[in-house]
Amino acid sequence: MPNIYDSSARTNYFKELTTNLWDQRDLITLLVKRDLAVRYKRSVLGLLWTLINPLLTSLVLWMVFVQIFRAKLADGSQFAPYVLAGVLLMTFFNQAFMQATESIASGMGILQKVYVRPHVFAFASAISNSVNFILGLFALLVVTFLVDEGISLLAPLTVLVIFCMLGLTIGLSLMTSILFIRFDDSKNIVAIVLQLLFYLTPVFYPKDILSAPIRFIVSINPLSSYLDIFRFVFADTGKATLFDWVYMFSSSTIVLVLGLVIFKRAWAKSVVMM
Amino acid sequence: MTSHVIEVENVDLKYVIRHGRATTLKEAAISAIKGINLDITVSALTDISFTVDRGEVLAIIGHNGAGKSSLLKLIARVLPPTSGVVKVNGSVAPMLELGAGFNPELSGEENLLLFGVLLGNRTKEMQSRIKDIAEWAGLTEHIKLPLRTYSTGMVARLGFAVATFQRSDVLIVDEILGVGDTEFQKKSKERMGQLIAGGEATILVSHDLKTVESLATKVLWLDHGKQIMLGGTAEVLDAYRKA
Repeated sequence: MPNIYDSSARTNYFKELTTNLWDQRDLITLLVKRDLAVRYKRSVLGLLWTLINPLLTSLVLWMVFVQIFRAKLADGSQFAPYVLAGVLLMTFFNQAFMQATESIASGMGILQKVYVRPHVFAFASAISNSVNFILGLFALLVVTFLVDEGISLLAPLTVLVIFCMLGLTIGLSLMTSILFIRFDDSKNIVAIVLQLLFYLTPVFYPKDILSAPIRFIVSINPLSSYLDIFRFVFADTGKATLFDWVYMFSSSTIVLVLGLVIFKRAWAKSVVMM
Repeated sequence: MTSHVIEVENVDLKYVIRHGRATTLKEAAISAIKGINLDITVSALTDISFTVDRGEVLAIIGHNGAGKSSLLKLIARVLPPTSGVVKVNGSVAPMLELGAGFNPELSGEENLLLFGVLLGNRTKEMQSRIKDIAEWAGLTEHIKLPLRTYSTGMVARLGFAVATFQRSDVLIVDEILGVGDTEFQKKSKERMGQLIAGGEATILVSHDLKTVESLATKVLWLDHGKQIMLGGTAEVLDAYRKA
């Protein structure tokens, strides 16, 4: 760790940040491990729960939509893996985003005493949720085989979706954490926005059933592109267009960079304000 | 490169207090529309300058609200100065309110590990050090238990131990030398003496002028964020007592 601190020195923010994240790799690992340990130690079923939880969720959704509403996907593929893929990815997004945001807001106690880059907490929270997502993929695998479908040879490309999702959620959480620190009511507003976002992502409905204007709104929601790509690479269900790929990579990069820049400007003010 | 470990030059620190009511987005939006600015800017520190060299102990004295803790936070890198320059030539081990930053649900051991790594140590380094730290703090039997089962004194001992077992160039001590029983106080003063003799630059905040007298090599007297006096221990304490 470079041990010279000069408050007047002009440093390259992004370079410094990258070095700092690398220096803090032990801390990030420790935080991720703690996160996972807390989540799995406290439940009776432990790790098995990650498998059972999404299985049960998809069972419920399958009963509601297939048995009650008689929903069918246009291309004849099965509903259960379709909806589970959506649920898994949206859970990943929601939890990574919310936990990363809260990790900074609730870490204020430490952050005002010890010099640590707040970003470290956001990265750790998002990463631990990506581990949960990966564990959830096993449940998706089970459901996919249960309905007699196979997975795609492109399945390893899911890694790309995970990386982009990390960028997106970390960038968003950096911006939102400033709101959380300054304004008490921002949590409620964010919760409503997240719910809206969930319904504007084709989690349990196919895009074709939507009317043209709504379909347009759904397709400008970046999460739709993430989900299309995830379904396409994992089990070759759904279509991923070139637009989806470009949109996924660019939204992730732009949001991450924007989040880092906004956070840098706002953080110094917020930490002094407390 | 300077030979001073800590160099503080013409530092100002201003911070903004939000008016008590504007803590929600709704109210912030309303006041923005009405054009009311609810923020009040307060000067916590004005034009502070001093240096600390290796083996020196600088004590900061002054009444509550004089800006002592803010100054410590500037040196610990937690706050950036509004203007002026803070330079620290080395690593900093902060002891701001002992035990702050510990998680009550984690065991003593887990807290030590996390806090040590937070201060910039490698995980392996910390793991090998935990036994010694626990032993020194007299907490070997409790180290696997969650921190919420500890007494206040035990938490403070753990906090003191983890901060002083840290090899660092600067030690920041905020009002903590009165922790624990007489035996532990003696032990912690001894430890402080070793660290100072070992070349650490120390910054000490205390209301206890006797502690200041026995440890400090120089004293900075603050009042309402302004630097009243900086000089030798006897000289400044003399003036402070008369004031």
